[in-house]
Amino acid sequence: MEQSGTSALLQGAVQDLASDVVSALRGGDHLRMSGTGAVDEIEGSLDLAAVRVLGADLLLPHVLFPSPPDPAALAVFRKTVETFPPRADAAPTVKWSHWAMSRTLRRFDTPLSGAPGAPGASFEDEAAEPDAGWLDEATWQALTHQLAVLAPLAVPAEDCAVVRAARRRPVDVARGFVRAVRRRDWQQAAGAGRWLTLLDGVPDTLGLEAGLDFVELMGGNDPRVALQVQAARVMRTAGALV
Amino acid sequence: MPSIDKAIEDITGVRSDLEAALDPAEPDGVYRDSRECAALALLSADTKLLLSPPTPRPKKG
Repeated sequence: MEQSGTSALLQGAVQDLASDVVSALRGGDHLRMSGTGAVDEIEGSLDLAAVRVLGADLLLPHVLFPSPPDPAALAVFRKTVETFPPRADAAPTVKWSHWAMSRTLRRFDTPLSGAPGAPGASFEDEAAEPDAGWLDEATWQALTHQLAVLAPLAVPAEDCAVVRAARRRPVDVARGFVRAVRRRDWQQAAGAGRWLTLLDGVPDTLGLEAGLDFVELMGGNDPRVALQVQAARVMRTAGALV
Repeated sequence: MPSIDKAIEDITGVRSDLEAALDPAEPDGVYRDSRECAALALLSADTKLLLSPPTPRPKKG
């Protein structure tokens, strides 16, 4: 598929950020955003849009290895949440990814007057979850695709409507994982594998661990695939379930 | 004010690409034939996922 110039640049910026996150996950280290400058410098730029695409996963190392993020990274994250609110008619994945970012921000942000959830804050009302009914009606193929897009919500101890929908259908997600591998859709396979790591009731016959190894072998050159696989590994090691 | 027009155009383009990136359509699958699957399985002996042949695809025409 032909991409616009902006789209190709955006994808490149997203991959750069994903590489930074993978490095932090592998090292159990703080996130260092190599491609972005100060908040003022990146406003309106592709870098800010790239943060929006990567979403809550930007701060994933600090969620999985509990530690406060670098203030500059947190400021960029907050600026992104404020700059790209979802439109009222946005697709559910757009709304949920923004919700995930807002939730992550609430996890780390200090309670300043303009902080999320505080009176007058720009995303004061976003603690309310978007609707997730579409997932219950989705086929197992569509469910897996949508969950893979929303992989940043697959974190330990998360409880939201998307997580509950995934929890109700572990076998469907397992089928979707196998389908994604056979279609060579490594990004979807990696995202589904990350979800499966957190779900109870996944069939042992799936061979999830070997499957994730295979996904990394085949698709790990894409930092977005590597991010999901590495996140799954860290969570699997920690034995976390949602 | 060409610079403002350009900035608006850039932001609009970014927002459009952003929505597409956040709500992507599922890409078309790329399937391997059985011989390729067998070769891959040999390359990664612990992986059992690709030992079965790919899903049959409808024939064209």
